[in-house]
Amino acid sequence: MKTPRVAISGLHRGENPQPGAGILRSIRLAYPAAYIVGLVYDAMESGIYANDGPDVTYAMPYPTSGAESFLERLDSIMAKTPVDLFIPTLDSEIELLAHLQDDLTDRGLLTYLPDAAMLKKRSKSCLYELAGRCGVTVPESSAVYDLQEALTAGAALGYPLMVKGQYYDAYMIGTEAELAAKTSKLFAQWGAPVIVQRCMQGTEFNAMGIADGEGGIIGLCSIRKTILSDKGKGLGGITIHDPRLLKAVTALIAELKWRGPFEIETIKDERSGEHALIEINPRFPAWVHFPSMFGVNFPATLVEMMTTGRRPAPISPCPPGHFYLRHQVEVLGSLSQLAELSTGADFDVVAARSKLLTSSIP
Amino acid sequence: MATPLSDLLLNDRGFAFDPVGGDTFQLSVTGLRVVRLLQQGADEAAILASLQAEYEVDENTARRDLASFLQALEQLGWAS
Repeated sequence: MKTPRVAISGLHRGENPQPGAGILRSIRLAYPAAYIVGLVYDAMESGIYANDGPDVTYAMPYPTSGAESFLERLDSIMAKTPVDLFIPTLDSEIELLAHLQDDLTDRGLLTYLPDAAMLKKRSKSCLYELAGRCGVTVPESSAVYDLQEALTAGAALGYPLMVKGQYYDAYMIGTEAELAAKTSKLFAQWGAPVIVQRCMQGTEFNAMGIADGEGGIIGLCSIRKTILSDKGKGLGGITIHDPRLLKAVTALIAELKWRGPFEIETIKDERSGEHALIEINPRFPAWVHFPSMFGVNFPATLVEMMTTGRRPAPISPCPPGHFYLRHQVEVLGSLSQLAELSTGADFDVVAARSKLLTSSIP
Repeated sequence: MATPLSDLLLNDRGFAFDPVGGDTFQLSVTGLRVVRLLQQGADEAAILASLQAEYEVDENTARRDLASFLQALEQLGWAS
């Protein structure tokens, strides 16, 4: 197999980490000579500056700026740095790219993504119907399109409740005033609808995998979140094998005929042992590199699938009892690096590192 | 759903991991002994006899403690 040349987005590893840096590390674990192109939306994405970061980084226009500017930028990048594969990791980016499959293929850029219909069926506003068809429970929810609807839904569900943006962010809400403030913020940040959901007590579980587009799963890793941040992010997790979770995930993926990486989030009702569906994300989670460290490498399998165009052998099951702890470290950057990316110049990481060592300018 | 006792991951110092729920536990020496006996298929009478033979404990105390421990296992969903 020739050396993979892979574009990856979502390189931030701060308080709310994105999956890109983990995908990058996993690919390098299997393909040490892989050439990695980082696509970033912010010069402060910490993975740009990591020692094991991308070979070269390019700033991208936000997906909300539209297909034309996104494709134009990809064309200019590929003219300088040819890339064969693209693994997008941001929900808003995947929403855009799902409509651009033919444009990407025409450019010789391979992806492995769900189509627009699959994305719609697992969106937060359609989750209730999807779960019902699969025999999976889901906390009672309402998709609201204005503030008054949110307050009405809040009164019906009772407090505390959860309020969620259509792409990101979720808050636990204790009062009507709080609901009004956070709903307004989510409308401003992510647009409508906002999801108002009954608050469910229990332990959080995640299942990560790759699906084949025909209803089958190529590999699956399930964890229980053992440590949560204030924002509910998993700072620690342990692999588990729960037949009930497996059954729910299998049913959901079969119903969606999902194609590509996914992460399914559930909360387990401690009394019944049932998993309630919270969210289906169209990408790998931030903890994607964790199973790679014990030999179950999902990003490497994805690269193999995309490169060969064939369905690979099933990924080995993840044995229960492996755990991870998120370990944050500082990375060193310089003003010259920041200036290059902030002014729209392309950022050659190898050159920048040597500059960092020799330049007297901080 | 109950976790079969045979699936529990145990070490010799009583550290236990439930692979279905993802919880870890620390069993006492006698607790570990009881779980091991259950894994081997021993019934309550056989476990009671083992506890009396291996530890300095009278039958009433052993019976009461065993019943309490088995109830705790049931609450954890650990099925033999």
